[in-house]
Amino acid sequence: MTHVARPMPRRLDSFTLASEAGNERPALDRVARSVAGLGLPAPRVDRLKTAVAEAIMNAIEHGNGNRPEIPVEVEVTQDGDQVIVAITDQGGEAAGKAAAGGDAAINAAEPDLFKKLEGAEGPRGWGLFLIRNMVDAVHVMTDGQRHTIWLAMRTGGAADAGHV
Amino acid sequence: MSAPAVTMDVRRLGHGVPVIDIKGDVTAACEPVLMSAYEAAGGGKAPWLLLNFGGLDYMNSGGIGMLVTLLVRAKRQRQHLAAYGLSEHYREIFELTRLDEAIAIYDSEQAALSAAR
Repeated sequence: MTHVARPMPRRLDSFTLASEAGNERPALDRVARSVAGLGLPAPRVDRLKTAVAEAIMNAIEHGNGNRPEIPVEVEVTQDGDQVIVAITDQGGEAAGKAAAGGDAAINAAEPDLFKKLEGAEGPRGWGLFLIRNMVDAVHVMTDGQRHTIWLAMRTGGAADAGHV
Repeated sequence: MSAPAVTMDVRRLGHGVPVIDIKGDVTAACEPVLMSAYEAAGGGKAPWLLLNFGGLDYMNSGGIGMLVTLLVRAKRQRQHLAAYGLSEHYREIFELTRLDEAIAIYDSEQAALSAAR
């Protein structure tokens, strides 16, 4: 059998941002610039941007408690035919429970518009739902205080559910 | 929360049908702007309210929540909401969230107005 060495993951960009509402907006544009040239069709770039924005908003609000002095870390990597965006906050287990409590929470969040219209649910709560539906795979991990969500999107082919 | 990067202007079309022209970013921060525009458009008095998303740059989950709040208000008044000018991406999000089942989506202002008259 012939073994072909898999290329090492390539970091496309890495940056931090202050935990202030609205900071997801320039960050998602920066992520989009970092994946330009990888062949992602424009509709999939739009989907990635939406997922990244929601994950950063969760990191700012639930992970870092809107404390500007605690940064959100964003890393964009190309790994084979995937783009992976890792977003890390310092919320640890607390962030996990509040926003994205591991993969189970990512998969459990299922808002119902018509329950919301009847008043049985609050009007918000769409973030995890959007994340799950916008990218090909999502994985969440907590290591001490560090709480990271990985968003993966293949640079070719259609989206399907899965894990990084 | 930072100041909203959005404008929402109200126009009246034929038969007095109000339309809110949404330009910029739709987030939770712009709820006061939307509710002011809603009141300027007559609140729940008009049987139809059109939302023009042709100038939409960005909408996040907070913006979706805000639209749900608007829908609750409109539903209480038995008012119909219609939208047009959505990009393919935000049409997909309307479909995913089922907003398209509560807000009728049209390809153009003329099509939305025809439905509202």
